[in-house]
Amino acid sequence: MAGPGGDMQWCFSQVKGAIDDDVAEADIISTVEFNHTGELLATGDKGGRVVIFQQEIENKNQPQFRSEYNVYSTFQSHEPEFDYLKSLEIEEKINKIRWLPQKNAAQFLLSTNDKTIKLWKISERDKRPEGYNLKEDDGRYKDPNSITSLQVPVLIPMDLMVEASPRRVFANAHTYHINSVSVNSDNETYLSADDLRINLWHLEITDRSFNIVDIKPANMEELTEVITAAEFHPHQCNTFVYSSSKGTIRLCDMRASALCDKHSKLFEEPENPSNRSFFSEIISSISDVKFSHNGRYMMTRDYLSVKIWDLNMENRPVETYQVHEYLRSKLCSLYENDCIFDKFECCWNGNDSVVMTGSYNNFFRMFDRGHRRDITLEASRENSKPMQVLKPRKVCTGGKRKKDEISVDSLDFNKKILHTAWHPQDNIIAVATTNNLYIFQDKVN
Amino acid sequence: MTRLSKDTSMLGRGVKRKRSCLEELDAEVLPDAPRKVDKKQDVDGDRDRGDRSDMSRLQQRQVVLSLCLKKLQDYQAGMELSLRRSVLLVNTLRQIQDEMQSDRTGSPDLHLHSINPDSCLLRDDFREDLLVTCPGCAVGNAEGLSPSLFPEFPSQEANGSSEQHKPLSSPSCSAVSDATNATGYLSDLALDDIFEDIDTSMYETSDLPSACAAGSLWPISVSLWPDENMKPFCPTHASGGGLQSCLMDLNELDHIIEILVKS
Repeated sequence: MAGPGGDMQWCFSQVKGAIDDDVAEADIISTVEFNHTGELLATGDKGGRVVIFQQEIENKNQPQFRSEYNVYSTFQSHEPEFDYLKSLEIEEKINKIRWLPQKNAAQFLLSTNDKTIKLWKISERDKRPEGYNLKEDDGRYKDPNSITSLQVPVLIPMDLMVEASPRRVFANAHTYHINSVSVNSDNETYLSADDLRINLWHLEITDRSFNIVDIKPANMEELTEVITAAEFHPHQCNTFVYSSSKGTIRLCDMRASALCDKHSKLFEEPENPSNRSFFSEIISSISDVKFSHNGRYMMTRDYLSVKIWDLNMENRPVETYQVHEYLRSKLCSLYENDCIFDKFECCWNGNDSVVMTGSYNNFFRMFDRGHRRDITLEASRENSKPMQVLKPRKVCTGGKRKKDEISVDSLDFNKKILHTAWHPQDNIIAVATTNNLYIFQDKVN
Repeated sequence: MTRLSKDTSMLGRGVKRKRSCLEELDAEVLPDAPRKVDKKQDVDGDRDRGDRSDMSRLQQRQVVLSLCLKKLQDYQAGMELSLRRSVLLVNTLRQIQDEMQSDRTGSPDLHLHSINPDSCLLRDDFREDLLVTCPGCAVGNAEGLSPSLFPEFPSQEANGSSEQHKPLSSPSCSAVSDATNATGYLSDLALDDIFEDIDTSMYETSDLPSACAAGSLWPISVSLWPDENMKPFCPTHASGGGLQSCLMDLNELDHIIEILVKS
């Protein structure tokens, strides 16, 4: 795939996680997110843990530098709970992590499971005080009579300690499963969305939130559509979008009214009648929506495609990329094994020129918008030698299978890449397979 | 490793599908795309292909209907189902039922070999037979579960009587009646029979759901459409003969709540 500076190639950098094929359920990665500088990379898993990696840049002054991500902090964000009222378990799985822009030395992130959002503070401690007047160094209290002079405690260096502490818990505001969390550009508020409602929170206030979208019908019998994702506009603090299971995206302006049930814009592409099938609605369900960094476009991911929308044009997307069109003829089988309900995410690169999303068989796809090129790559242990260049993969859809191609029937539908993230500035990507996190970077020629 | 339906058997009563039957269906029944007409074929040949395509579409519809019903019935004790998945399944089910309905009222030269126009599926009172009245609804909880969302579940009142399930000749009806039979079976069992083999010491917290499942279809409904106004457990709200099996002794109820509170 060509970039402005010539051909760009992706190389393996690192892989995190257990090597053995026996995947522990708790280790299944459920979300991946870079922070705003790209220095930190957070992952959440099904066991409710958050692992944060920090970028150590070696030889940054050299033309070919390698950046390595090493574990920075690990903590248990959510625990399994039991809803006694409904006799149902509440999973501890982390559905989303979103970083707050950094304001001081500490880092803050929001992590959420199905019901509760938590604000975590991650701070470093590399000094400790020594020389207390009333305490010995080991903590025992001194006999006051033995103190003859006063001293000022001094801070002495110690081994770096990274502490994660929960600063806020935003609970009891969602009846249905939370699917999205998005921090507002005002750095004071954020939204959380479940299947039927979206709530607006203030980061400092945990005992109340404003309901800004409610699509629950008075009669549940009439329920035909749920909210699947929501996000704030990157610059306009009054604007957010939410997507639905019917393939529509609604843009709302919070200035218009307190309850944003009436959308300002409705983005929907009319269905191609020649593609109509029993599965049309299911595959049109949008699994992710992401604004571009410049705020002019948004990207949606449905089961078979990625669409780029211009915020000024509601009736159709400006670009459509087929992720794995060869699956269209296999929808019945994918319906049987439930794969048709898989929710793939998508992401933009730093300058909005390339978009990326995952697929099956540990394949992931990149679409270069400017050069109209796309590439399929694979995250696998076989291609895990340091700085090994990834070879493009191709799926054979019919006829004679060429060498190095893989046929549709040989794809492993258990190996799905649902979560991917792109460094906000550099060409470094994080790709999550079931229980491993792969980090790739471009080879600087 | 999950591959596409190589050896997976058709979901349902152990009916073995021939190999890659689903894939054949997938391949044959592409959506309503206009078929390319080979000019060399005669008109009869075209009609044969049209017949086969219609049959395949009907077959696929049948398969999808069965899968839909099975997926809606499956639930893991103690785990809340995904509302998105349930809504998509119900919408698919509605779409298929609407199509079946319009096939019945459609043109006579449609090849409906597998659908008996007089089948009970299409009769209005069959829909009523399939309606479920959960205890919450019976008490008049307006925000509670709606019966018509779950056409595959038999009504509580109809559980005991076997004449509700008329002899069905069409595969589509048998799929639906299979589902109703399965769920009716659950409600006919006495509560104690269910608990006989179950070692509840490890699964204390799941006692309630399994008890409810044995007694009624109601918790299946609850987990599909969770509603914050729903009362979770109302064994005293019996409203008909079919709900008798849903009642528990208050002593048993106390005992279970004690276990929950301790855990």
